Amino acid sequence: VAGRRVLITGVGSYLGTLLAARLESEPGFDAVVGLDTRRPREALAGTQVIHADIRDPAIGTLIARAEVDTVVHNSIVRQPGPGMSARAMHDINVMGSLQLLSACGQSPSIEAIVIRGSAGIYGAEPHAPQFFGEEMTRMFPLRTRFQRDVAEIETYFENYSRRHPEVTCTMLRYQPAIGPSLATQITRYLSQPACPTYLGFDPRIQLVHEEDALDSLVAAIRRPVRGAVNVAASGTIGLARMIRMARRPLLPIAGPLFGPITGAGRRLGLDAYSDDFRRLLRYGRGVDVARLERELGHRPRYTTAEALESWVAA
Amino acid sequence: VTDPAALAFMRRLREGLDSGLELPEALTRGAAALPREARDTVQRVLDRMEGDHDEDEWGFDEGFADLVEPFFGFLYDRWWRVKVEGAQRVPAHGRALLASNHAGILPWDATMIGLALLREHPLPRHPRFLALNWAFDLPWVSVFIRKVGGVVASPYNALRLLEQDQLVAVFPEGVKGTGKPFSERYRLQRFGRGGFVEIALRAGAPIVPVAVVGSEEIYPKLGDIPPLARAIGAPFFPVTPTFPWLGPLGVVPLPSKWRIEFCDPIATAHLGPEAANDRGLVLELSDQVRDVVQETVLRNLVQRGPAFI
Repeated sequence: VAGRRVLITGVGSYLGTLLAARLESEPGFDAVVGLDTRRPREALAGTQVIHADIRDPAIGTLIARAEVDTVVHNSIVRQPGPGMSARAMHDINVMGSLQLLSACGQSPSIEAIVIRGSAGIYGAEPHAPQFFGEEMTRMFPLRTRFQRDVAEIETYFENYSRRHPEVTCTMLRYQPAIGPSLATQITRYLSQPACPTYLGFDPRIQLVHEEDALDSLVAAIRRPVRGAVNVAASGTIGLARMIRMARRPLLPIAGPLFGPITGAGRRLGLDAYSDDFRRLLRYGRGVDVARLERELGHRPRYTTAEALESWVAA
Repeated sequence: VTDPAALAFMRRLREGLDSGLELPEALTRGAAALPREARDTVQRVLDRMEGDHDEDEWGFDEGFADLVEPFFGFLYDRWWRVKVEGAQRVPAHGRALLASNHAGILPWDATMIGLALLREHPLPRHPRFLALNWAFDLPWVSVFIRKVGGVVASPYNALRLLEQDQLVAVFPEGVKGTGKPFSERYRLQRFGRGGFVEIALRAGAPIVPVAVVGSEEIYPKLGDIPPLARAIGAPFFPVTPTFPWLGPLGVVPLPSKWRIEFCDPIATAHLGPEAANDRGLVLELSDQVRDVVQETVLRNLVQRGPAFI
């Protein structure tokens, strides 16, 4: 029996490199192809790395030539990093995904597409159910740019899935990841001298440990299912407790002043807070992981508190 | 009822709030007037509001609920002199949905139902309750409600709680119950479209009708100021004999006499989860629950006698 041939976009990201290395070592995979403008984080002996931008129409021929059966879309940007504008982020996320899907349409060998999407599509809402199920994406208006981008990607993806019933399309909706090796908005937030919070609010936060993030991706590649699947640690934790565990002082700020004060901090060189992150700090978000456990067969090994602990200990 | 310590506490709290302090600070300052034990309690409550302790995935904090118990206990024993009947009819194990009449603007009735079970039930447990969504926009209030077992009134929350075999209290009258004028007291409002019955059917949970008498006199709502309600995003802006005239003191509920009766559970498990799609059956069950609650409310109203003495 021939093994699987997998293409990974965003192979230069932390999780992308780790995934490529993991698939190289696991049985059942014949070829791993990486696609990115960046180099992988570490040398990957068994991975063929293609240096290309997913927004480039040329990837159509590149992907067809690689003759892969599975495409893992791992280059959705969650927050603009240093030197990346919000506009560039939108461009990579929306135009990149569109281009990638059209490239997949030119490759008849493709059987499955797995997208590492975001639970940000649900938003952070005061009146939300405590745990969003996969069917609850249209409960509240899309309030931020990133939310609208993710929703657009999901719409493209659903359309693609409908037009190509022979391809199994899996949309993984990730909660913010944390772990000893990751640098994300959450870890930068918890590393500040003091953590600004909304006065009088203590939202429920749910994260996912980096190992569970990787294992869920592998589980989705091994057993692709149709539609959306939430990826998160089990359980939630209060923001105040989270900051205590990170051994940082809380800095409660009254709601109307939060924007101006953190904005001033940004001019002083502190981290910028995206609209999504601000809403998360005010209202929190939890998702239901029953489908991840039942259909992908991955039971998260870390609770949110344990995931946080592993980061604090590192 | 007129406890000098309690009055001194209220006075200091009032002074603190008037001089522009934030609520936790004002509470701390007010607590200085309380006896030592009570002062400790307030301090520990404030500590817990800051985090650093265990909560379940819903944000319910059993330690916190135990800490505030003396406060609710005071209301229960001395302020409202709650009499309870039929607590043993509430299932001791597994899922169950408590459906109660609702009045009194703030969810005091939910807290008293909870305390009634903790005090009177042979195998007490903390019930969870569905609270008006608006409360979750508010600073402190949202955190407090969550810590004592409240969740956003979403059917998904109710269903998940029941699937975890919890006791869940719902108020099917919703905001129509809390916002009704004093002249309509003890006349139950419409029970929505029977959403609570659908949830009970899906989860196979028995429905326990609960009648609360007394909650409808704690804030006699004489009027409403819709423009002010719109301005603060509230469903209504109540005018009572004490609110908003006395400022924060107007939030102190009147000391009416209360009775809470738990009625015989209505089983739903034998109907199966598919029955939730049967509109006729749902409405029929919803009416049945409403009739039981209304009847029990009226009977207890007669038994109670005068509202305040």
